[in-house]
Amino acid sequence: MSIQSICQAIQESNIGMGLRESPILWPCIEATHVLSLALSVGTIAIVDLRLIGWVMKDEPVTDVIEQTQPWTLTGFGLAFISGALLFWSEAFRVYPSWSFRLKMACIPLLGLNALLFHNTIYKSVDKWNRSRVTPSRARFAGWFGLIFWAVVIFCGRWTAYNLQ
Amino acid sequence: MNLLPFFKWCDATAIGEFIRQSTVIFPIVEVVHLFGLTVLLGTLTIIDLRILGIGMRRQSIPTVVSNLGPLTVWAGIVTIVTGILLFLSEALKCYDNNAFPWKMWLVLAGLLLYLLFQRRMTKGAQIGSAQMKIVAVLSLVFWYGVALAGRAIAFI
Repeated sequence: MSIQSICQAIQESNIGMGLRESPILWPCIEATHVLSLALSVGTIAIVDLRLIGWVMKDEPVTDVIEQTQPWTLTGFGLAFISGALLFWSEAFRVYPSWSFRLKMACIPLLGLNALLFHNTIYKSVDKWNRSRVTPSRARFAGWFGLIFWAVVIFCGRWTAYNLQ
Repeated sequence: MNLLPFFKWCDATAIGEFIRQSTVIFPIVEVVHLFGLTVLLGTLTIIDLRILGIGMRRQSIPTVVSNLGPLTVWAGIVTIVTGILLFLSEALKCYDNNAFPWKMWLVLAGLLLYLLFQRRMTKGAQIGSAQMKIVAVLSLVFWYGVALAGRAIAFI
């Protein structure tokens, strides 16, 4: 079974069809996706900008990370669920889109970036918690996050324009 | 008051025409609009939650506001400028849209709230007051409402 036919089966399932054809549910899910995305990526941007030394330079890195995390995760959880439902409703339609594929490739990379950051340089955060200029690996994680989340947003929006 | 001539004039501007004619510029401006909105809502949420005593409590209200406030304002400027460009390119479409006026009233409410109250409240005696908390709740409602109404334009 090819990925394409799996996508077709998902889209043509009862739930997929029900979601797509609902005049209220579909816009609600779409709106949830946009709002929760803004909450999660917006708060991630605060952390990334702290890491690269643009905002909250005099505040400890751990304060910024720990206190934004619950909101980032809330937003991400909602964006993930609503995104999965949107995919369910048009999996076959978005499957051939290059921007959709790029988006799906970037999200795991961003997860990997966060995972690597937390398991390597962040372990020694006590040494640089109050530094205005963080270690280069932390700055790298910050830039990576900012650039690739921007790519994700770009691709998400673009997908609406390159569907047949 | 009939606003139709104004919308027609906007729709006919050279900038509006230019954006409309290109298949690439409109989506690009829209993506930048989304970037701005993302940073605007993210930073504004943290500030308002701090004022409500729910988020970032290890930092004081003035610290959070002075650190993130400028980011919110810049993001707001980017969002509004790109929003105007998008509007010029489809002003007549907006005129016929039921969600568009909601969005504009909410933007106006959010801006007035910021200019008249929020800006002054974050320094001095009003820190932590009930009034300030009400303003924070309103700010969250208005700006998330703007995003919601913005999304609704595509569906209504």
